[in-house]
Amino acid sequence: MSAETVSGTGLEVPSFALLIILLPMLAFPVILLLGRLFNGKDWWRGALKEGGLIALPVMAASLIASLAVIRRFIGETSASATSTVMHWVNFAWQDAATGEIQLFSMDFGFYVDHTTVMLLFVASFLCLLINIFSIGYMNTDPVNDNRNHRFYAEFVLFCSGMLGMVLSDSFLWLFIFWELMGLCSYLLIGFYYERPSAAYAAKKAFLTTRVGDVFLVIGLAMLWNLFQPHAVGGDALAYSVVFDGANLQAIADAGKSGALQLALGFMFIGAVGKSAQFPLHVWLPDAMEGPTPVSALIHAATMVNAGLYLVARMFPIFGAEAMHGAFTDLAFLIALVGGITACMAALIAFVQMDLKKVLAYSTMSQLAYIFTGLGAALWLANSLDWHHDDAAHTIVVVAFGAALFHLFNHAMAKGMLFMASGSVIHEMHHAHHDVHHHHDHDEHHDGHHEEDHFDAQSMANMGGLASKLPITATAMLVGSASIIGLPLIGGFWSKEGIIANTWRVALEDPRFFLPAILVLVTAGMTGFYMSRMWFMTFAGKPKTEVAAHVHEQTPWIPIPLLVLIPMSLSAIVFASLEATHYLGDTGSHLGEMGLLDGFLYEMEHAFANHDPFFLVLTYIAIGLSLVVGPMAAMALYGGQLADGEEAKPWLKPFVSLSARVNKRHRFDNTALAEGSLATALQERLYFDAWYDAACEKIVAGFSNLAAVFDRRVVDGAIKGIESGSQSTSRQVRSLTTGSARDYIMMAALGTLLIALVLWGVA
Amino acid sequence: MDLVSIVLVGLPMVVSLLLLSLVGLVPAALRPRLAVPMRLVTFVVGVVLFLVTTGMFFGTLGEVDWLGIGFNTYVFEEQYTWIESLGVTWHVGLDALSFPMVWLTAFLLPVTQIATWNEKRGEVYHPLILLMGATLIGVFVSLDLFMFYIFWELTLIPMFFLILKWGGAERRYAAQKFFIYTFTASVVMLLGLVTLYFLQQPTQAGAYAGSFTGRSFDLVNLSEVAMAANTDGVFLGKTMQAVLFVMLMLGFLVKLPAAPFHTWLPDAHVQAPTGGSMLLAGVMLKMGAYGMFRIPVTLFPHALEQFQFALMLFGFVSLVYGAIVCLGQTNLKKMVAYSSVSHMGVILLGIASQQPIGYAAALFMMFAHGIISPMLFAVCGAFKHHYHSMEIGAMRGMAKHSPWIATSMMFGWMASLGLPLLAGFVAEFMLLVAYWATFGWWILGPGLALAITAAYYLWSMQRTIFEGGEATQPPAGMEGKPIPDLDTSEKVAMLILAAATVLFGIFPFIALDMMDAWTQAAFVVLFGGA
Amino acid sequence: MIDPLYVSGLSAMLFVMGLWGAFTRKNAIIVLMCFELMLNAANLQFAAAAVHHGDVTGWIYTVFAIAIAAAEVAIGLAILLSMYNQHATISLDEVELLKH
Repeated sequence: MSAETVSGTGLEVPSFALLIILLPMLAFPVILLLGRLFNGKDWWRGALKEGGLIALPVMAASLIASLAVIRRFIGETSASATSTVMHWVNFAWQDAATGEIQLFSMDFGFYVDHTTVMLLFVASFLCLLINIFSIGYMNTDPVNDNRNHRFYAEFVLFCSGMLGMVLSDSFLWLFIFWELMGLCSYLLIGFYYERPSAAYAAKKAFLTTRVGDVFLVIGLAMLWNLFQPHAVGGDALAYSVVFDGANLQAIADAGKSGALQLALGFMFIGAVGKSAQFPLHVWLPDAMEGPTPVSALIHAATMVNAGLYLVARMFPIFGAEAMHGAFTDLAFLIALVGGITACMAALIAFVQMDLKKVLAYSTMSQLAYIFTGLGAALWLANSLDWHHDDAAHTIVVVAFGAALFHLFNHAMAKGMLFMASGSVIHEMHHAHHDVHHHHDHDEHHDGHHEEDHFDAQSMANMGGLASKLPITATAMLVGSASIIGLPLIGGFWSKEGIIANTWRVALEDPRFFLPAILVLVTAGMTGFYMSRMWFMTFAGKPKTEVAAHVHEQTPWIPIPLLVLIPMSLSAIVFASLEATHYLGDTGSHLGEMGLLDGFLYEMEHAFANHDPFFLVLTYIAIGLSLVVGPMAAMALYGGQLADGEEAKPWLKPFVSLSARVNKRHRFDNTALAEGSLATALQERLYFDAWYDAACEKIVAGFSNLAAVFDRRVVDGAIKGIESGSQSTSRQVRSLTTGSARDYIMMAALGTLLIALVLWGVA
Repeated sequence: MDLVSIVLVGLPMVVSLLLLSLVGLVPAALRPRLAVPMRLVTFVVGVVLFLVTTGMFFGTLGEVDWLGIGFNTYVFEEQYTWIESLGVTWHVGLDALSFPMVWLTAFLLPVTQIATWNEKRGEVYHPLILLMGATLIGVFVSLDLFMFYIFWELTLIPMFFLILKWGGAERRYAAQKFFIYTFTASVVMLLGLVTLYFLQQPTQAGAYAGSFTGRSFDLVNLSEVAMAANTDGVFLGKTMQAVLFVMLMLGFLVKLPAAPFHTWLPDAHVQAPTGGSMLLAGVMLKMGAYGMFRIPVTLFPHALEQFQFALMLFGFVSLVYGAIVCLGQTNLKKMVAYSSVSHMGVILLGIASQQPIGYAAALFMMFAHGIISPMLFAVCGAFKHHYHSMEIGAMRGMAKHSPWIATSMMFGWMASLGLPLLAGFVAEFMLLVAYWATFGWWILGPGLALAITAAYYLWSMQRTIFEGGEATQPPAGMEGKPIPDLDTSEKVAMLILAAATVLFGIFPFIALDMMDAWTQAAFVVLFGGA
Repeated sequence: MIDPLYVSGLSAMLFVMGLWGAFTRKNAIIVLMCFELMLNAANLQFAAAAVHHGDVTGWIYTVFAIAIAAAEVAIGLAILLSMYNQHATISLDEVELLKH
C-alpha cells in the first residue's frame, strides 16, 4: 500500500480518512472472535454489552474522523479531491493493432466532494446513533442473548461498507463496497435465522438486489470499455477519468454517447434494486424481518441510499457539455421509475397494519421522490446550457441539490422514525411480557410460557401511546411531519423543490407530466399514511390491554431520538445555509449568503415565488400534504386519549385536533376497505406473488428440467456409448464358441481370405 | 541444485512410493499402526514443498524476478537426456504461468491433509495424497511433451485409487467412469502430440543429436519454432494447425471440464472422498486450463483465432448451463461439482475473449477457484462427515447447532458467488470487461449465470444454515445424539483456506501481477503481429 | 525326375485330406494327426520346390517344420492327456475349453 495524493484542487483527502473504513472493518473479526470465545460470560454481557461497547467507540472514532474530513471541505469552494490509497490491480500490455502501451488498473482511493461530505455525515452519524439505539434494543431482549456479538460484528462491517462506498473514488470500488453492504444486509435480515420467514426474506433481499447488481456490473464493464482508451492512469472507472470533460468529449466525438447512455442505464438498474424501486422493490418490506436497528440502518439511513448515491454520481456525466441533450431518455426513465414507485408504495402503505411495514413503504415512496428529483435534475443538467447561463446554472444546481437535500432529510427523519417505531415495539413487547407473566403466573409455575401470537408490531394492538411514550411520540411526530413536509422543518424544503423541478421539466418535456402528477398526488397520500400511522399508534384509546401498560424504560433508546429530533427540526437552518445550492454545486460553499439572507431567500422562494405557476404549485402541494391527507387520516383514526391520561403539552393539540375531526367528519370506509383495491393493496399489488410464482414455476422448473436433461441426455449419451460398446463386444464375443473345430474353421477361412487378398493385390 | 526435479517432483514422488511399498511389506494387522507416522512424514514433505515454493516466490530461493521472465523462457530450468533415440528429455522449468499452479498444489497438499487428518486407512491415504501432489506438480513443471503426457496420465492413478478405496457407495462406477472418460480424451490428445512430433522439421542439433527421428518432444524448442513460423505465416499450415488444435483441445476440454463433456465430474466428486475432491477441484481441473495455455494457445494462435467463437460457445454453455443445472440439484456436493463446471466456463471465456484482460482473468480464475473450491468441498465433506447425508435440507438451522460448519459454508459460498474482496471477484470482473469488448451482447449470458449462481447458493444456505432453530430434527439416524460441529483439524483447514481467500481477495496483485506479466509477454509474441 | 506338378498335386490332396479331417473328426487325436498331415503336405511342397529350383532354402524350411511339428505334437498330446484327465473325454464336441 502506498499513500500518494493526486489532487487537482489543492485540497487533499487526509490520510486518516482510511481509518473511517478500516476501523469498523477491523472491528468485525474482533467482535466475532471475542463473542465466540466469551459468550455467556458476565463481563462480556454486562460490561461490553456483547460487543456493543466495542462497536460504539469504533463508530464514534469513525464519526470523529469523518467530521474531521468534512471540516476540511465544508467551507471550501471547488471542493473535490481524490487520493490514491492502494494500487490494487495494475498491468500494462502492448496493443496488438497500434503497438501502444495500454494500461489497466483498479486503484483504490478516496474522492471527496459535496455529495460525499453530506453522505459521509449521514452515514457515520446515523451509524453511531443506531449503535447506541441497538445497545438499548438488542441487549434487553432475551431472544438475542448470546448472539448479539454477531449482530454487532455484522453491523460494523455494514458500516464499513457504507462508508467505503461513499468515500471511494471509482465506480468499481463503489460496487465493491456496495456488495459488501449487500452481504451484511443479507446476514442482518437473516439475523433470526431460525425463523423461516427471516431466512426467506434474507434470500429475497440478496437475490433481488443481485439481479440489479448483475446489470450494474455489466454496465460497469460497458463503461470500462468506453473509457479505457481515454483513461490516462488505466483506471477507466475512476471518477477523475469518467467525469473528465475531455474524455466525455472524446466519447461524444466518437459517436458513442448512445452507448454511454446504455451503460448508465444498466447501472441505474443496479440502483433500482438497491434502493428498492419498482419493479425490484419486493425485498424491502420483507426485510423488516430483521431486528429494528437493522431496519433503521438498512432501510432508512444507509443502504437504500446507495442506489441514489450511484445515480447522483452520474450527475457530472449528464451535466457535461459534450453530452448535451443525449441522455434525456434515461433521465426520464429515472424520473418515471421514481414516480411510479412513489405512488405505488404510498398506496400500499395505506393498508399496512404493521408499524414497520408502513415505514418500509414510506421509505420506498420517499426514495422514489428522490429518484424523481434526480431524474428531473439530470434532465435539466443534460438539456440546459448551464455552464454559461447563470440562471440555468442556478436552476440545475438547485434541482440537483434539492434531491440530495431530500436524501439528507429523509435519512435523518426515517432513521428517527424507525428507531421510534423500534422503541414502541420494544416497549409493547416488554409490556406484553409483563402483562402476560402477571396473568399466567399461577398457571405456569415452571416459568415456561408457551409462544403466543401477540403481534407487538401491529398498530391494531396499539393506540393512545402518546402519554405513555412521550419522547417516542414526539420523535415520531417530528419525523412524520418532516416526511409529510410540514413547512419550515425537514423534508418540506427538499420535497417542494423536487415537485417544483419535476413540473418545471414537465413544462419543457411533456413526458415528465406523468412523474410530475404522480409525485404531486403522492404528497397528499404521504400526508394520509404518515398521519394514519401516528394517530393509530399514539392517539385514541389503547386498543389492547398491553398498550395500556406500556412505559419507557431503557435509557439507551431515547438518546438517539433526542439527538435526531432537533436534527430534523433544524432543517430550516440547513436550508438557510443554502444546503440546496451547496449540495448541487461543487463551486459553492455552505452558508454563502449568510444565515439571515439565506433564510429570507429561501422563504421567498418557497412561499412567494415570483413565478405564479410555481407559487400555485407550492400551495397545492402544501394543501394536499398538510390538509387533505392528514384530515382524512384524522377523520378515520383520530381520537381522544383514555381518561386520566395526559399527553405532553406539545402533543396535546394534535390529539385533540384529531379527536375533533374524528367526531365531526368521520366517514365510513368499510366499503372501500373491503373493496378489491384494498385487497390488492393488502397483497402488495400481487408483485410478490407473481415473482414467487415465476421463480417457482419458470426458474426452478427449468432448472429441474435441466438437471434431468443433464442426467438423462448429456450423461445418457455417455452411458449410451458405454452400453453400446459393451453390447457390441458381447455380440463379438458370441463368435468365440469355445469349440476347437470352429477355431480351425475360422483359421482356415482367415487364411483363405488373406490369400485372396494377396492374390487380388498381386 | 535442481530444485524442481529433486525437491518439487522427486521428493514427494520417491517418499510416497517408498511409503506405499513399505505399507505393502508390513503384515496387514500392523498397518493401522503406521497411519500416524505415515501421516506425519507425508505432511512434513507437503510442508517442505509449500515452504520451498513460497521461498521461490519471495526470491529467497533462486532470486527470481517473476515479473520479468518473459514468454517461453523459464527459470529453474533443467534438462537431462531421457530416451535419447526418440528425442525425449527430462525437461523441467517454471514460468509465471506454471508457478502459481505449482504453488497452489504445494499449498493445497498440507491443507488437504489437515482437512482430512483422520481419514480411515491413513497409512495408504496420506502417501496417495502426496503422490497425487507429486504427479500434479510434474504436469505443471514439464517442458517436454512426452514427460507432460506421462505425468498427465499418472495423475489418474492416485485419484483412481482415492475414489475407489475411500469413495461413497457408487465409487466403483465413478472411479471407472472418471478414469476411462478422461483417459479416452487424453488418448486423442496423445495422438495430437505424436502427430505434432512427426510434423516438425527434423533437426539433429544440440541435445537431440542422438534422436533417431531427428525430432524432439521439447516444448521450448517447439514453441520457438512455432513462434517463428507463426510470425510470417502459419506454423504447419492452416488445416494442420486446426486439426492439431482440435485434437489437443479435446483432451483439455474434457479435463477442464467443459459442457457437454462434464458428466464425469459430478459422479467423481460425489463419490470421491473429501481430500480427493479438494485436489480434484482445486488443482486437477486446472490441468486442463493450464494445458490449453501451455500448448494449443502457445503453438497455434491462428487456430485459436479460427476457433474463437466455438471456444466461446463451449465456455458460454458451461457457464450458463452449469449454473442452471446447479439450481436443480438436491445433493450438496453435486451442486458444488456443477458449480465447478460453471466456473471453469469462465476460464474458457477468458481464453476465447483474446484480450489481455481476459487472459489475466482466466489465469486468476484458475488460481482463485483453486483456493475457493477446496473450501467448498471441505465444507461438503464436513457436512457428510457429521450429518451422514449429502442432501440439501437434511440438516437445517446449522447456524445454531454447528456454527463452525455454518460459518465456513457461508464464507465459501459467498466467495464462490464472487463477492468482492474475496478471491473470485477480480477475475469475474476482469472477465466481464474483456467479454463485453469482444463479444458484446453475449454478456447477458454470464450476467444470467451470476444471478443464478447467487440463487443456488442462497437457496442451499436457506435450507441448511437457516431455518430450523429449536425445532430442528437431527438428520435421519442421528436422533438423540448431540449434533456435532467441525473437528479441530477441519477448523484449522477452513481457517487457512478462508485466510488465503481473503488475502488474495484484498491483495490480488500478489498473484495477479505475475499472471499479468505472462499475459503481457505472451500477447506481444502471439498476437503482436509483425 | 518326377514332374513337380504331380508332387504339388499330391501335396494339395494331402492338405485337403488333413483339412477335411480337422473339420469333421470328433476325436482330438485324429484332428491332431490331421494337422500333421497338413504340415507334411507343406513339407512335401517345400521339398519339391527345393528340388525344382535347386535351392537349399526349401530343405531348411522342411527341417524347421519337422522340428516344430515334433514340438507341437508333444504339446498337443500333453494338452489332450490333461484334457482326458479332467474331462474323461477327448471328443471335441463335448468340450468348449477355449471359451473360458
